[in-house]
Amino acid sequence: MATIAIEGLTKDFGDHRVVDGVGFEVPEGVITGFLGPNGAGKTTTLRMALGLVTPTRGRALINGVPYARLAEPRRVVGALLEATGFHPGRTGRDHLRVLAQITGLPGVRVGELLELVDLGPAADDRVRTYSLGMKQRLGLAAALLGDPEVLILDEPSNGLDPAGMAWLRDLLKGLAREGRTVLVSSHVLSEVQQTVNNVVIIQDGTLRYSGPLDALPGDSLEDAFLSLTAAPAAASTSAASQ
Amino acid sequence: MKGTHMNQAAAFHRLISNEFLKLRTTRSAFILVGVAQLVVIAGASGAFVSGLDPKDPETVRIGLAHVGLVAVFSLILGIMAMAGEYRHKTITDTYLATPRRGRVVGAKIVTYAIVGAGVGLVSTVTSIATIATWMGVKDAPLDLGASGLWQTMVGCFVWNVCFGAMGVGVGALVRNLAGAISGALVWIALVEGIVGQLVGDSARWLPFRAGGALQGFASPGVEQLSQVAGGLVLVGYAAAFVAVAVTTTIRRDVT
Repeated sequence: MATIAIEGLTKDFGDHRVVDGVGFEVPEGVITGFLGPNGAGKTTTLRMALGLVTPTRGRALINGVPYARLAEPRRVVGALLEATGFHPGRTGRDHLRVLAQITGLPGVRVGELLELVDLGPAADDRVRTYSLGMKQRLGLAAALLGDPEVLILDEPSNGLDPAGMAWLRDLLKGLAREGRTVLVSSHVLSEVQQTVNNVVIIQDGTLRYSGPLDALPGDSLEDAFLSLTAAPAAASTSAASQ
Repeated sequence: MKGTHMNQAAAFHRLISNEFLKLRTTRSAFILVGVAQLVVIAGASGAFVSGLDPKDPETVRIGLAHVGLVAVFSLILGIMAMAGEYRHKTITDTYLATPRRGRVVGAKIVTYAIVGAGVGLVSTVTSIATIATWMGVKDAPLDLGASGLWQTMVGCFVWNVCFGAMGVGVGALVRNLAGAISGALVWIALVEGIVGQLVGDSARWLPFRAGGALQGFASPGVEQLSQVAGGLVLVGYAAAFVAVAVTTTIRRDVT
């Protein structure tokens, strides 16, 4: 039951409701795209799933329990979040060593991951010298460190060049083929179209679609996305509220 | 579900080791401890060049007492351990690994009490080496058994231990690194003195004054606690900061 179950999640920041009763399930063995314009509530939803943000209402379960109740969470869930940080004065290798130690993983795992994300030559440089793409690769290495069965990745292609994006696509497909649960958020449609099997679309904090990519209405993902994320009652004129 | 359920003691021990690994893999701690040694050397030397009698044991105590003052560096290390994680957003990974945030704070308190002990120990050795050098120059015998010297030594060490732990509490409560460090320094340099004048004798309960009591000798005209009471007051401040932080700021959303 390696699935993510989001049940009626709601989050208010002050008077502003950023997520409003969102519910969906993420099956294992496929890649699920979590789509929505910037500000739709994707990041907040993912952070609630990971116990970093407390929901106003609703709950998020991983393997049937809230994230905070997992015995060794980093071995079950690998997460890459936009605001995940690095100490600028720490080397990439040491960043992973710190995470490997707290997860109870052997040191050799660090070297393996550095190779996998192609950071070997820069591993002993301080993170302050890394490009955005290198930081993103280091974050992916951190997410994959514990060999997790569930991956939650927030905009993982940020900062990657075209070759990096192709690499990421293949990596994610391979991970899903191994039976893992992969949830990837993005606001770039063209990039997920070739990768995902399932999509979850939210806008203004509410769920607009959850299901297989090929069951989406319309001729293309873009058509479907634009009509689903248009104003609440479809044909209304107040679409440009973003 | 992968992984076995560790017992809580092993898990807590792993958390503390992790804090030490974080500390070792950046340079800031080494730089701060190095600067603290310069302060200790300058302070100990000051007692001997300022015209005090080098043969008077009080001169040695005054020189050694600067080991207590570098507790400010132990405090900053503790603040950086907590607020620095918010500053660099490594707190996300920290809480993902250990969702029970109180345990993270607990491990940091233990770790930075030990770090404070290390700062106190290294600084004591530096201070005594400096004092011995000056006594050699001044041709005065250094008697480490002189009355009160051990009291000052132990008290200054304890001041460092307490301020290391208290720094974690301050960092957890404020969470903004620049704000927490500058706030702590402004308090020590300016605010505590002003508040002290307003509250009269009660000033002896203020944190820096309580730390000063740990140095183990009276300064003329300064109302202060006994050494033991000074230590207990600092433990109380550390506990209060942590208790408030764990029930308020530490629970807040990490966005």
